[in-house]
Amino acid sequence: MKISLRWLRELVDTDLDGAAIAKLLTMAGLEVESRTVFGGFSGVIVAEVRGKKPHPNSNKLTLVDVWDGREVTQVVCGAPNVPEPNGERGAQARLVLWARPGATLPNGMTLAPKEVRGVMSPGMLCAEDELGFGEGHDGILIFSGDEELRPGDDVASKLNLPDEILEVNVTPNRADCLGHVGIARDLAALLGKKLKVSPHPNDTAQTGAATVVIEDAEGCPHYSAQIIEGMQVLPSPLMLRLRLQSLGVRPISNVVDATNLAWLELGQPVHAFDYDKLAGQMIVVRRAKAGETIETLDKQTRVLTDEDLVIADRDKPVAIAGVMGGASSEVTAQTRRVLLEVAYFNPARVRRTSARLGLHTEASHRFERGCDPNIVAHVSDVTTPRIGRPAGMRTDVYPKKISPRTIALRPARTESLLGCEIPTARQREWLSRIGLTVSGSSDKLDVTVPTYRPDLEREIDLIEEIARLEGYEKIPVTVPRLQVVPEPMESSTSERVRDLCAGLGLDEIVTYGFVSPKQIAALGFPNDTPEARPIRIANPIREEQSVMRTTLMVGQLLTLERNQKRGASDVRIFEVGQRFLPSAQKDAVLPTERRMLTATLAGRNGGWLKPGAELDFFDVKGLVEELLDSLGHSAQFVQPQDETVSWLHPRIFARIEIGDLFVGVIGEVHSRVLKHFEIEGRAFAFEIDLDSIHVAPPAVSQDLPRFPAVTRDLSFFIDAEVSAQKIRQTFQTIVDPLCREVRVIEDYREAGKVPTGKKGMLWSFTYRAPDRTLTDAEVQAAHDKLVGKLKETLVVELR
Amino acid sequence: MSDLKGQFDALHIEYREKLARATTEQEIRKVYADYGGGQGAIRVKQKDALKVAPNAEKREIGNLGNVVLKEVEGDFERRLGDLAREAGERDLLRSVDVTLPGRTHKVGRLHPITLVRREIERIFAQVGFVVAEGPQIETDFHNFEALAMPKDHPARGMMDTFYVADRDDLVLRTHTSPVQIRTMLAGKPPVRIIAPGYVYRKDDDPTHSPMFTQVEGLCVDEGIRFSDLKGILLHFVKRFFGADFGVRLRPSFFPFTEPSAEVDMSCVFCVGKGSVNGALCRTCKGSGWIEIGGAGMVDPTVFGHVDYDSERYTGFAFGMGIERMAMLRYRVNDIKLFYEGDVRFVRQFR
Repeated sequence: MKISLRWLRELVDTDLDGAAIAKLLTMAGLEVESRTVFGGFSGVIVAEVRGKKPHPNSNKLTLVDVWDGREVTQVVCGAPNVPEPNGERGAQARLVLWARPGATLPNGMTLAPKEVRGVMSPGMLCAEDELGFGEGHDGILIFSGDEELRPGDDVASKLNLPDEILEVNVTPNRADCLGHVGIARDLAALLGKKLKVSPHPNDTAQTGAATVVIEDAEGCPHYSAQIIEGMQVLPSPLMLRLRLQSLGVRPISNVVDATNLAWLELGQPVHAFDYDKLAGQMIVVRRAKAGETIETLDKQTRVLTDEDLVIADRDKPVAIAGVMGGASSEVTAQTRRVLLEVAYFNPARVRRTSARLGLHTEASHRFERGCDPNIVAHVSDVTTPRIGRPAGMRTDVYPKKISPRTIALRPARTESLLGCEIPTARQREWLSRIGLTVSGSSDKLDVTVPTYRPDLEREIDLIEEIARLEGYEKIPVTVPRLQVVPEPMESSTSERVRDLCAGLGLDEIVTYGFVSPKQIAALGFPNDTPEARPIRIANPIREEQSVMRTTLMVGQLLTLERNQKRGASDVRIFEVGQRFLPSAQKDAVLPTERRMLTATLAGRNGGWLKPGAELDFFDVKGLVEELLDSLGHSAQFVQPQDETVSWLHPRIFARIEIGDLFVGVIGEVHSRVLKHFEIEGRAFAFEIDLDSIHVAPPAVSQDLPRFPAVTRDLSFFIDAEVSAQKIRQTFQTIVDPLCREVRVIEDYREAGKVPTGKKGMLWSFTYRAPDRTLTDAEVQAAHDKLVGKLKETLVVELR
Repeated sequence: MSDLKGQFDALHIEYREKLARATTEQEIRKVYADYGGGQGAIRVKQKDALKVAPNAEKREIGNLGNVVLKEVEGDFERRLGDLAREAGERDLLRSVDVTLPGRTHKVGRLHPITLVRREIERIFAQVGFVVAEGPQIETDFHNFEALAMPKDHPARGMMDTFYVADRDDLVLRTHTSPVQIRTMLAGKPPVRIIAPGYVYRKDDDPTHSPMFTQVEGLCVDEGIRFSDLKGILLHFVKRFFGADFGVRLRPSFFPFTEPSAEVDMSCVFCVGKGSVNGALCRTCKGSGWIEIGGAGMVDPTVFGHVDYDSERYTGFAFGMGIERMAMLRYRVNDIKLFYEGDVRFVRQFR
């Protein structure tokens, strides 16, 4: 809300400057976000156009004779709208603003006499933007004479310029501060000054000249209508126009400007209908019929529902209540009689309609926050004379009387909640200063709240008022008393995983929880899997952020691609974060969220003074093994015969299992996926469900071996299809208990070195006894036994 | 007898020649074994002589042989010593160019959001706050209703919300306050939690990201005061930014707290002075303060939704953005950098 400092000073006596007032308001909860100067110029005077003729050397320029009250001077003007000295409206509208030599404009420029196309011009006639009044530069500012401004007057001193405009961030609870009087009330309270407004009684119903029927009293508890006549629709006097412009409101006509002045001053929206365009010359406040339409002032046709409240005449809606007026009854230059509407509408109803139509106006902004239901008549009475003459009595229909409420306040509660001593008398004083009526004893006060503060409903609301007026800076600093609190929810697995991943050389990234459905689709999940059916967002900002990720791979691949495009050749990244799946249980309220660890690696191993080897599956597998081992788990890597992972290479991937538990997948990213994400070279990735992994209990220390070990190697050819896992499992079932470790040392398949369809393998067996040094004979016996059994269990060709 | 001595000397000379020619430890040991060892030529010669010698000469023959053997052993050890010394000297002649780069051993870097979140958690753990978490897709009840924001409440407009399609009861949480609700629904006071996590708001411009990381705190017990909130926030700011930094609370409005406050801290650039080298501080526009979050006393309406007796219990809550803290600490000036995953960005943080 833009607030004029000059206007504020008209309402509260204060010598404080703008900066001090801004600080006071800010520290009382009315945050002043910025302060700007309006009308910062000097040396500009009012002049009357007395004559005009074309410039001899230009057909765009005019030579204008202006009169400053004493003499006539010729000024060169480039505007197309220089008024006719003897025009139709005569002296009514031929005043202009003349910046004479020596004048300083808001942009800092000081004027000097200047030759324009061969004719000397002493200064210039000003457009509104040149004086910082607005954006307009279509022509010079023209206005009519009134009692305020006469030729020769210095504009700045006559109009009390410059003014300072405060941009106040009014929080949604402070509907009362959406007008100057509300802000002034708080300022007066803070300064201990009197607010200079005349009091008015609370509203009552009365019957007057206008016919008003309220069919929906829940939607409209109070409606007043005043018929105004004897008016002429004209531009407002310059002073009013500038006041509106300084507050960001475009001046339109004396009628519309008067309605705008009402909310700027008192926070109460007001609407003016052309009375003669209302069918049946009556007002009906009712629910719209479903499908009923109205063309609003912005020339849009709106389709209404029966939830919407409308102002109608006998036949049709003429305004959407509290939101926007209709075009059919708009005030125009031809309007002769006006019906002035001042009303109180149900805040929730206005909000719903405004939200549904996406139509947010100054009026709806105020009504939906809650106006004062008892200021209606007062606003009507002060606005009417600004427009014209009342034609009879005001009609006031007030079917649901809203009265001030009384709240109990325990001053001791204020002190215990704030942790600050504030004597009862001081608490009473603060509440009285903002217009509340306080009675009762010091252990329980009865506080009556005027209806302009609908936000004050409970004791706590009053305590907050006292706190903010007293000033939060007066509240001391303490610490809560010590308490034993419950155990934390454990998130330690993911924290440990982050540290391990970093230790293993992966850089952490964070990506958005929502992704593009196209990118999910590019991973190729089968249609019947939950991964292929991400949760959709009803109102995304953009399509690329419109579904919740079912895998972190999309973020990984986009990040990999981005890094490659920026010149990184070796990228090793991980993210720990949630994926979102439709709930497996039918009756679950929330979708399933699983915390995942996902990592992607591309590029080469570190070489020295030459490129290292290209990364392969086993680099990544080793990383996962070390990671899980550090968490106390030994993982199996299983390649099932009958299934694949849609985004991984069909033959270079594995399921990661811990015991019987499936915890993730690992593999080379499918070339089709790499192509889609425009990734160079190969990439390897793994994704592990951290919610299914727990940090293993503390390890039990084992005695270190005290006696030396003996190793024996075994080299053989075997069918290439037999996996190392299978061979290991075979060994583990047939080795002698003295064998403590079985390791594969070589796997070679080069044609020429091995028979077709076979692979060569070298395995190493470590024998050790816990209690003695083994003899050669013992080891040889155990190893020979192993070789014998191996021939019985696997088809191997020993070498 | 002198003849025997001559034979020993001859073998000794022969041994010395071979020893001099041996260049490895193995060869040296072999030469020694061949002459001075148990089966070596000198010992064999001594034994043979003893077998045939008269008893009177045996002692002399034994001495004669032992003298030679002693010298042979001495020669052997000297030769081994020489070899080791030569090897040592040769080894010291090796060199490398120490100015060449080292072989890389990369440790990955944690994301600044993780670094800052952990530090915040640690600072609040010092004053008894434990970490609590909750879902990112939330019910309207937990995200709004229980936080005193019923449907049609104007404050809902303060947080532009993403809704879940086909489910009018679900939203992407707009703050981590629903974790407070879940925690209070799950147990009785005292409650002292810190709730970090991703939140979503329909806001995307150079200073806003549609997803960001928030951390909220909640402390509920008998006798918790607004002044305690001040104390806890001051503790945080001094630990996180330094002892020179202060906290200022400014009245504001949130539906779920009352009294409510904006939390300002001394400007990180001018340390609250409002000017840098005589010029107006651009970060705080000269005020000396910058906003870091919101806070307040838990509104009784919220306690009503979780069945806490608001006459008996009071509490405070606060919230702030982790990215904002990270931007202030690391002088990051574009929030989008946190989500782009540019490893050059991430690798700057330690």
